[in-house]
Amino acid sequence: MKPNRVAVTGVGETPFLRKGDQTVMQMLTRASLAAIADAGLTPADIDGYVANKYVGHGSDEIAHAIGGGEKRFCAAVDSAGGTATCGQAIELAQLAIEAGLARHVLVSYAIWSNKPGGVYAVHAREPQKAGIEMPAGFFGQPAYFAAMANRYAHEFGMTEEEQASVPMTYRAWAEITPSAQRREPMDLEAYRKSPMIATPLRAADCCLTTDGGCAYVVSAIEAARDMPHPVVAVQGVGLGYNNYPQGVLFTQKPSTFEFPGRESAARAYAMAGCDPKDLDLAQIYDGFTISALVQTEMLGLCEEGEGPRFYAAGHARPGGRMPINTSGGHMSGGYVPGINLLIEGVRQLRGQEGPRQVPNARLCAVAGLGGNSHSTTILARS
Amino acid sequence: MGVPVYPVHLEDPLLQGFYDGLAAGELRITADAETGEWVWYPPEVVSGRPDAVLEWRPVSPEGQAYSFTTIVRSLLPGDHRDEVPFTCILFEPDSAPGVRVPGILVDADGVEPACGMRLRFRPVRAGDHWIAGFAPID
Repeated sequence: MKPNRVAVTGVGETPFLRKGDQTVMQMLTRASLAAIADAGLTPADIDGYVANKYVGHGSDEIAHAIGGGEKRFCAAVDSAGGTATCGQAIELAQLAIEAGLARHVLVSYAIWSNKPGGVYAVHAREPQKAGIEMPAGFFGQPAYFAAMANRYAHEFGMTEEEQASVPMTYRAWAEITPSAQRREPMDLEAYRKSPMIATPLRAADCCLTTDGGCAYVVSAIEAARDMPHPVVAVQGVGLGYNNYPQGVLFTQKPSTFEFPGRESAARAYAMAGCDPKDLDLAQIYDGFTISALVQTEMLGLCEEGEGPRFYAAGHARPGGRMPINTSGGHMSGGYVPGINLLIEGVRQLRGQEGPRQVPNARLCAVAGLGGNSHSTTILARS
Repeated sequence: MGVPVYPVHLEDPLLQGFYDGLAAGELRITADAETGEWVWYPPEVVSGRPDAVLEWRPVSPEGQAYSFTTIVRSLLPGDHRDEVPFTCILFEPDSAPGVRVPGILVDADGVEPACGMRLRFRPVRAGDHWIAGFAPID
């Protein structure tokens, strides 16, 4: 794939709510229509769709729901989390557009976190987790990532203050983001009052529970130049995978916090022809403090093992030298896996973010984690 | 410290060998019957070897903690508030480096859990079944 052949031309979302009253299909539809309108298009202009196996609705349902026109391309991503929404989907959209199969591709995702069974039901369906881990009480994403955090701290060192600086950084951005779910200020004292879930992770170290939908439109670069907003091109996209199934992912990898992020970043930077020092800001999939720290390192924004010191020094905060998660991320802004981070990156590059706008933002990395997969996408204002 | 009590769901009957071992006071994991290579957790298909046969073999009762976390709010389905806190351990047996067996820390009053701490296997009763417990070695 070549850099700057496609652009993200439209973005949209529903409100992010702790408990919403819309179905996944309703949220998908509303977010999609908002993104299409933002692109200055009508549903009839959408000729490509990238669906997501975790959403449970295919492109036929989405196309019907938005009142779309003739569908010429459709695909579904099968990675989890942010890899799918802000890496794999972009890659498929670009492939389709470069091949001439589509001109405007719609990517959408919605999450109903309050569904029966809860957000961890997917883990309970894994035979090995149900058979071996759950009887030992080792269950749920916070437990898995807490064990990673303790191992990381053992290998690299991490004080409580350094750990707290990650959610405090994202909260500082959320305070100036009107749509963020959690906007109340959080200092160290407030952080320490956050309930402990699984040591060392407090509730403040975990992503939010959100009901919400997001969507974006990927268009051919030539078309983007005639559309309403400044062109935000896909300058690079890289994916990294390992082959550890979900059942063993959190316990049996040689290093449990080694995500394939270095691989995805290297591929994205190579395609984009840039390196970390060229970035103006980043959006990083912050399911948990520990996973955000590790990905910050994997993107090359600081040295391996220095993530805690990087955040504690304030580099990622408003006014810092490398703003990260400028709408509050998943921990304070809202959790629609990966895709709301990509939307924030697009709007920052358009210069639309008011009080939280990063001055002269021209290059943004978006990191998506999917457990056994990882994506890095480099967006550029042309 | 508490003990998690959650029923064992064995959708894969192969996993019964783990609990047979616990009931017999042994920590057993699966190995390729032909090569002896540890294969853990036992998968539906052994990577690259669909004809491989797995068997349960005992591992050393002593080993170390790869990592741990103390569960303060249990996320297991149902109400488990009376069972917390407990400390989950990912135990690496000395005889199977790199393999991790989940269990809980036991006999550890006043001991701070730590990565690398030396541990010895000691099964623990949890309702109607056994789970893997690991006690610090002085």
